[in-house]
Amino acid sequence: MNCIVCVTSVPDTASVIKIGTDGKNIDETGIKWIVSPFDEYALEEALQITEAKGGEVTAVTYGPARAEAALRDCLARGAHKAVHVIGGEATLGDSFTIAKVLAKVLAGREYDCVLCGNKGVGTDCSQVGPMLGELLGIPHVANVTKLDVGDGSFTAGREVEGGLEQVESSLPALLTCQKGLNEPRYAALKGIMAAKRKPVDKIEVASLGIDEAADSFYTVRSLELPPPKSGGTIIQGEDNPAAAAAQLVKALRDEAKAI
Amino acid sequence: MDYKVDLRDVKFQLFEWLPTAKLLEAEKFADWDLENIEMVLDEAVKIAQQQMAACNEDGDRIGAQWNDGVVTLPESFHTAYQTVTEGGWIGLLANPEYGGMGLPEIIGTAVNEFFNGSNVAFSLTLMLTRGVGHMIEGFGTEEQKRLFVEKVLAGQWAGTMCLTEAQAGSDVGASKTKAVKNDDGSYQITGEKIFITGGDHDLTENIIHLVLARTPDAPVGTRGLSLFIIPKIKVNADGSLGESNDVYCNNIEEKMGIHGSPTCTLVFGQNDNCRGFLLGEEGHGMKLMFHMMNAARIDVGLQGCAAAGAAHQQALAYAHERLQSRSWKEMQNPEAPQVPIVEHPDVRRMLLSSKAYTEAMRAILLQTSYYLDMHHLLEGEESEKYKSYVELLTPICKAWCSEWGVQVTHWCLQVHGGYGYTSDYPAEQYMRDAEIACIYEGTNGIQALDFVARKLPMNGGKPIREILGAAEKTFQRAKSDSELMEPAWMLAAALKQIETISKELTKRPDAIQMVLLNAPPLLDMVGTVVGAHLLLDQAMLAKTKLAAILEEKGIGTQDKKAYKEFLTGHAEAAFYHNKVQTAIHFCYRALPTVAAKGAAIRSGERSPFFAIM
Ligand SMILES: Cc1cc2nc3c(=O)[nH]c(=O)nc-3n(C[C@H](O)[C@H](O)[C@H](O)COP(=O)(O)OP(=O)(O)OC[C@H]3O[C@@H](n4cnc5c(N)ncnc54)[C@H](O)[C@@H]3O)c2cc1C
Repeated sequence: MNCIVCVTSVPDTASVIKIGTDGKNIDETGIKWIVSPFDEYALEEALQITEAKGGEVTAVTYGPARAEAALRDCLARGAHKAVHVIGGEATLGDSFTIAKVLAKVLAGREYDCVLCGNKGVGTDCSQVGPMLGELLGIPHVANVTKLDVGDGSFTAGREVEGGLEQVESSLPALLTCQKGLNEPRYAALKGIMAAKRKPVDKIEVASLGIDEAADSFYTVRSLELPPPKSGGTIIQGEDNPAAAAAQLVKALRDEAKAI
Repeated sequence: MDYKVDLRDVKFQLFEWLPTAKLLEAEKFADWDLENIEMVLDEAVKIAQQQMAACNEDGDRIGAQWNDGVVTLPESFHTAYQTVTEGGWIGLLANPEYGGMGLPEIIGTAVNEFFNGSNVAFSLTLMLTRGVGHMIEGFGTEEQKRLFVEKVLAGQWAGTMCLTEAQAGSDVGASKTKAVKNDDGSYQITGEKIFITGGDHDLTENIIHLVLARTPDAPVGTRGLSLFIIPKIKVNADGSLGESNDVYCNNIEEKMGIHGSPTCTLVFGQNDNCRGFLLGEEGHGMKLMFHMMNAARIDVGLQGCAAAGAAHQQALAYAHERLQSRSWKEMQNPEAPQVPIVEHPDVRRMLLSSKAYTEAMRAILLQTSYYLDMHHLLEGEESEKYKSYVELLTPICKAWCSEWGVQVTHWCLQVHGGYGYTSDYPAEQYMRDAEIACIYEGTNGIQALDFVARKLPMNGGKPIREILGAAEKTFQRAKSDSELMEPAWMLAAALKQIETISKELTKRPDAIQMVLLNAPPLLDMVGTVVGAHLLLDQAMLAKTKLAAILEEKGIGTQDKKAYKEFLTGHAEAAFYHNKVQTAIHFCYRALPTVAAKGAAIRSGERSPFFAIM
C-alpha cells in the first residue's frame, strides 16, 4: 500500500511575522520554517498505514529551495523518499496553482492513498486537498479524524456538527487530515541519520509545463498585521453586579462594536 | 511548565564559534553533517519542551513515591521516557556497534543542556543509564557487554552508580559494602548504599547498579575497592530476566528539590542472595569509577548551566509582561503609567548578569566537550594534551557552573519579586532543583581540592599555563579594539592576579593550610578568568558578524537612536550586539571579584583556623 503525503512548510508558530517590503508577502528573514502541523498528521497516518500493510511513503512538496528542510524532516520521521517541486517563491501561493502542480507530479505515480493536511497553518484555506482530489479524479474526504484502510476501500470518520460522520469509499483516494487523527511521532536519531541518504527527486516546476503565474484563483493585494492588543479593562462588579453587567453590555456595544 | 532556551546562542557557540564543521569531517562522524546535526538539536529541543518540561511540575509536586520497597514515578514520566528511548537519545554518544549514534561530545552537551534545563530530575536517570552503558562497554568482559550494553544504551534497562554509604560520603574509601567471591566467579554482595539516584523506579523492567564494594582482604581506603555490576533482577545467560537479585530499596529521601528523582537507600543481600559481577579487576574500582564520575561531573556542571539558561529565559519573558512602577525617566511624575519591569535598571542588570554567566558556563562546557572530542579523535601527544585540558577543566565545569547556576536562579527569582517565591511560577523550582548540583558527584569543596591539589600541578603545571596562555592571547587580540580594550585589560589584570598568587602562595610556610582554606575561591578565580576569556573571544567574533550586517544594510552606529531602532527590528543584529554587551558586562562585573578574592587570600587571613567552633 503506497502513500503519498503532500506537505508544505510554514513559519514556526513561534516566529514573529513581519510584512515584507512589497506589502504582499511576509518578510522571510529570521523565519524558521517547519512542516505545517496538519501535514504532520498526514505523514503520521501514512507511516502507520505502511507500517501495518507494507509499501512506501513518498513525501511531496512544492516550494522554493528552503522547502527541502521539510522533506528531510519527513524522511527523518520515516518517509521512504521525497519529491521536491522547486518553485512557488511566493509564500502565499494560490491554492489552485498548488493543486495543479501537485496533480502533475502525482500523475503516473502509483499510490493507494494521498494524504494532505486539512489546511496550511497561516493561510488556512483548506482548498489544496479537495482540488487535488478532483484533478486526480479520485474520491476525497476532508477533515478526517479517524481512518481505517482496507483492501481497495476505506472508512473515514470526520467530525460534523454534533457528531461523527462515517464515509466509505474506494481506493485510491485522497484524505485531508485533521487534529485528533493521531499523535505525530518525533524523529528518532536513527531516522535523522538515515534521512541524509534517502533520495529527494528534484523537479523544476517549469519542466512540468505549468505557468505559475497563469489562471490563479486569487491574487494577494496587500497584507496587514492585526492591530496590536491593547490592555484589558476590568469592570469592578462585586458590589453591584447588575450595574457592572450593564456597563459591560455598553462597552461591548459602543466601544468594541461586538454586539 | 514551559521551557525556553536561547537556541540561537547554542548554535552560535557550536557552529560559528567552535570548529564543529571541521570536527564533523572526521571519519568517525561520517554519518553526520551540519544539516542533520541541526535537526538533532531542533528535535531535542522539541522533546525537551513538549515531553520533559511537560512533566517537570508533576515530578516536583507528585514526585517519586515509595511504597513497601517499590518506587513509582508520575505517569507523565513514563510517556517522556518512552519518547526518549524510542528516539535513541540515551545512546546519543555511544558506539554504533552497540546501537549508539556516535555523535560528538559537543552535540551531546548541547542536547543535554535542553534535557537538564527542561527537567533535571528526569534527566538524571538518562545520565546515569548512559554512564553505566559506557562503563560496561569500556571495561566489561565480552559476556558482560553482550548481556548489558545494548539494553542499557537503549534505555530498556536503567543504570545507577553506587558509591555513597552513611559513613562514606566524600570519603569514599571508607565504604564497607562487602563482596565475597563465589566458586563460579561471581561475588556475594552485602551492604547498604545511601543517596542512590534512581536506585529504584518503575520506568524500566530492570536496573543495573554499578557498586563499589570491598573484597575480604583488600587494603583500606579507595585502593581496596572493586566495582561490581549488580542487576536489580538477575539476568539469565540468554539475556532474559530471572528472579530478584535481593536488592531492596528501604527508603527514599524527602528533600529540597529534584523530587522527581528518587534518592534511594539500597540494601544489597539482606537475604544473602545478591550476586554481583566484577567489572575490570579487583582493586581497580575507584580508578574505573572515575571514568564515569568525570563524565558525570561535566554533566552536573551542565545542570547548573541548564537551570540558569531556563530560569533566565523565563525571567526575561516575565519581565516583559509584569507592569510595575513608573519608568526611572519619569520618577517625578506620579501620573506616569506603570511600565514593564524590564525597564528598571536593577532588573536589567540582574537579567544581563544572568545571561552573561549562563553563556560563560555554556562556553566553558562546550569548549571542554570539544577538547574531549579532540582527545578521542587524535592520537599520541596531541591527544594527551587535550586530555589534560579536560582533566583541568572538569572540576571547573562541575563546581563553577553549579555554583553560578544557583546564583543565576536566585537572580531570576528576584526578578519576579513575590511571585517568584510562590509555586505559581517555575523560578523557585529552578532554584531548588539547581542546588543539588553543588553537592553530588563530589561536593564543590572536594572539586576545589581536586583542582588545586591535583589538577593545577598536573604535568608540571603545563595544562594550566596553556589554558591561561590562551586567555592571555585573547587579551592581546581584544585590547586593540576600542570597545573591548578596557574589558580586555581587566582580563589581563585578573590573569596577573592569578600569576602573583600562585607564586606567593607556594612560598609561604603555611602554604598547605592556605591552599586548603582557599581552594574554592581559587577555583572560582580561574573559572571566572576562563569564562571572561571565552566570552571576549566570542564577542570579537560577534563584532565582525555585526559589522558585516551593518555594512550590508548601510546602517551606522553614530546615530544612537536610529541604531537602536534598527537593532530592535533585526533579530540577528541584535543577537550579535548583545553578545558584545554580554561580554563587556561580564568582564566589568565578574573579573574584579578575582582581584578581591586574590586580596583576601594574599592577606594570609586564617581566622577560620583560630575561631572556636
Ligand atoms: C539528591 C542526592 C543524590 C545523590 N546521588 C548519589 C548517587 O547516585 N550515587 C552516590 O554514590 N551518591 C549520591 N549522592 C551522595 C553524594 O555524592 C554525597 O552526598 C556527597 O558526595 C557528599 O557526601 P556526604 O553527603 O556524606 O557529605 P560529607 O562527605 O559528610 O561532607 C560534608 C561537608 O564536608 C566537606 N568535606 C568532606 N570531606 C572533606 C575534606 N576532605 N576536605 C574538605 N571538606 C570536606 C564537604 O565538602 C561538605 O561540605 C547523592 C546525594 C544527594 C543529596
